[in-house]
Amino acid sequence: MLERLKHWLNGRRGPGTDPDGRNLPQPKSPGDQRLSDCRLIVLDLETTGLNVAKDEVIAIGAVAIAGGVIPLDDQFDLILRRPELDIRETVLIHGIGPEALTQGHETEDALLHLLDWMNGDPVLAYHSAFDQKFLEKTLRKTLGYSRPHTWMDVADLLPAFFPDAKPGGKGLDHWAEYFGLEVSERHHAAADALATAELTLIALNKANKDGVKTLKELNNKLRYHRRLQNMHRF
Amino acid sequence: MAANPDNNRPQNTRAIMAFLREHAPFSNMDDAHLAHFAEHAALRFYADGDTVLSPDDGVVKRFYVVKQGRIRGERVNEKEGRTETTFEISQGECFPLAALIGERPTRTLHRADGDTFCLSIEQDAFITLFSESEPFRDFCLRGVSSLLDQVNQRIQSSAMASIGSSNSLDTPLERYALRNPIVCSPDLPVRKAVARMHENNVGSIIITDDNRHPKGIFTLRDLRTLVAEEKAPLDVPIQQVMTPDPCRLPAHADAFEAAMLMAEHHFAHLCVVDDEERLIGVVSERDLFSLQRVDLVNLARTIGTATHLRTLVSLRSDVSRLVDAMLAHGADSGQVVKIITTLNDVTVRRVLELNLKRNDPGIPFTWLTFGSEGRQEQTLLTDQDNGILFQTPDGMTEDEVRERLLPFAQNVNKELAECGFTLCKGNIMASNPKLCLSEREWDEWFIRFIDASTPQNLVYSSIFLDMRAVFGPTEPLHNLLEKVLTRIRKNALFQKMLAGNALQRRPPLTVFRGFRYVNDGNKHALDLKRQGLAPFVEAVRVFALAHGVETANTLERMDALARKGVFDAKDANAWKEAYSLIQAIRMRAHQEMLNRGEALTNYIDPDDLNPLDRRILRESFRQAQRLQQKLEVAYQL
Repeated sequence: MLERLKHWLNGRRGPGTDPDGRNLPQPKSPGDQRLSDCRLIVLDLETTGLNVAKDEVIAIGAVAIAGGVIPLDDQFDLILRRPELDIRETVLIHGIGPEALTQGHETEDALLHLLDWMNGDPVLAYHSAFDQKFLEKTLRKTLGYSRPHTWMDVADLLPAFFPDAKPGGKGLDHWAEYFGLEVSERHHAAADALATAELTLIALNKANKDGVKTLKELNNKLRYHRRLQNMHRF
Repeated sequence: MAANPDNNRPQNTRAIMAFLREHAPFSNMDDAHLAHFAEHAALRFYADGDTVLSPDDGVVKRFYVVKQGRIRGERVNEKEGRTETTFEISQGECFPLAALIGERPTRTLHRADGDTFCLSIEQDAFITLFSESEPFRDFCLRGVSSLLDQVNQRIQSSAMASIGSSNSLDTPLERYALRNPIVCSPDLPVRKAVARMHENNVGSIIITDDNRHPKGIFTLRDLRTLVAEEKAPLDVPIQQVMTPDPCRLPAHADAFEAAMLMAEHHFAHLCVVDDEERLIGVVSERDLFSLQRVDLVNLARTIGTATHLRTLVSLRSDVSRLVDAMLAHGADSGQVVKIITTLNDVTVRRVLELNLKRNDPGIPFTWLTFGSEGRQEQTLLTDQDNGILFQTPDGMTEDEVRERLLPFAQNVNKELAECGFTLCKGNIMASNPKLCLSEREWDEWFIRFIDASTPQNLVYSSIFLDMRAVFGPTEPLHNLLEKVLTRIRKNALFQKMLAGNALQRRPPLTVFRGFRYVNDGNKHALDLKRQGLAPFVEAVRVFALAHGVETANTLERMDALARKGVFDAKDANAWKEAYSLIQAIRMRAHQEMLNRGEALTNYIDPDDLNPLDRRILRESFRQAQRLQQKLEVAYQL
């Protein structure tokens, strides 16, 4: 992984590197790509806190879903270099100490690499609004990058396909427990991303049986589900 | 595949490696190979009932490990047109080995049984691991039986920790350094024979005829007795004072047989002979156990010559120590239960002898044992199941004989209890007037037993069909057994009832779940004896009785049934292996309970077992299920 990263960075640092992102892959919109063979990104961020205005991203963990399985040679597990951050409070939750942080990668390189690795594929996360806000802010501040990516919320995906399920709550832990998943190291970005991806596989398996075959159909189903949720709220 | 330090690997790779490490064969693989697996793996999900792998998929190109959930194998039974579950694959187990190695499609439909995640690697990663990792290759080629070796090794090594040696009891006698035996002719005077022993610094001399056939043996101990008791002058020919007809074994017999023979007869020396019975060597107790503190023969002799009950009682802890040592020296569970049975027999005989010395009722009788003791399958946890077969002296009625024998038997039962043989709760003991019978009465008893049995009462009484003489003449029992066996062989209805009874105890596996626990308050306990061993013992008994097999020992019965073609040789082996492993796990549990000073039970909590033992136990129970299926087919139950 690190070898590949170095190799990639060397290639990127050469002439023609374009920090405004024009060389980066185009974000894809949900169309007729078949769920059974398209690639999805499942991502989880660790941050210094919950306030998007003042808190920062510490670690990015992501896995891919391709062809309906999680290939483990296609994953992203990085700690960002943020020595200036005050992380005393969150260090307890995440288990990332200042040492690990300074060993991290230059933020700019890491983010460029992430965008390249994501390849413009749709991004899924648990409570994705949180990850989306933080990642978009970081990309804008660091790279001046502001293209809209397709995001889907796994927290919506599960109740949309398992309306009768009654997990103990709405969190990742509740659904993981509901399906009996073992999360190797909770609050580690990569481990949480893998657990989220496992839940996504379960949902995609059900989607296929329910006749939801394309990204577009999946996106519509999620929108419909959210609208239903909102209606119930009033 | 450079050996990266673990913390340079991504979290998810580390997590998968940690998962693999908990399961065989991965637990024995190098980290570099585990990393190769983890980095090339894909995680797949199958909802309950989804097809994972089908015969229609073509040649298998992928290797799977169950990460969570369960896979079941399905085959269609063409005769009955229904689908049967042929196997279950649980967490940490892999599939499909045979098809992948054989580069062919799978023959069994693999279906998810509950929501299931699998890790898979593609053919090229599989080939890399197969060629680079020896434990992995060994596992792929030999499957579960390679794991059985590991279990046996571990049973040995844990027992070995307290002993420290590794001479296997399976070693053929010819591989022991057989001393060139010191021999003499039968007419040599004792004095000269002893001089020859002295010159050669040995403790025994073999007396042979002109063809080197052993005729007798004379040892230093014999010399001591000779001198001390002034039995004969030292110039008599040695044949007058030798022990005639010495015990002999062929060179291909193993050390275990030698040890058993010595223990049974209290000999310290055995002649090793070739196929024509010519002497080729002598093996002594010390040769077998010189490097070890295993003292089976000495222990048997001490028990066999003890003069007080309290000596016998104190020797019981030595028996337990010996079992530890035997496990350490590579005895398998079949050997160890025979050793325990042998030592128990010696104890029972000695208790009987001491009682006869004190108070001989003056009636010739044979002491019978039933059940596990009858089958020679006793472990440290054993209760008394015994009876008396007596000959009625002229002029006495059977009731008069009983009047004399019963107080005697009562005392024997009581003293055996002091020696650690728990009193039988069901009162299957010689002091029970119903089990102290003449040959005629026993015969009638069996006629009634065979006629009046129901599958329900057979649960408690089938142990009478595993019967053995421990003390007294064996001829009366042999006569009785012959009659009983002939009757059973002719009585298809009784056989069917026995079969029905044998099926009442199911191995503790529900079809689709892991373990099924006993129903008592002890929620997470498995009864290894009643749920694990009994299905084998009882099914094998039915086949053995129906086919006139006289021996009561379960392993020997299976051998005999394979020889008669009743069992397929491969099946018989698998069943013997499975039975022995359950027994081994049970014995190890007993040793551990003893070491912790707890009372012995047959219950274990499968959660306490390591994943390998759990898996093997489950595999063994599955074999019991197969054996019961054979019984169901044979008797159309």
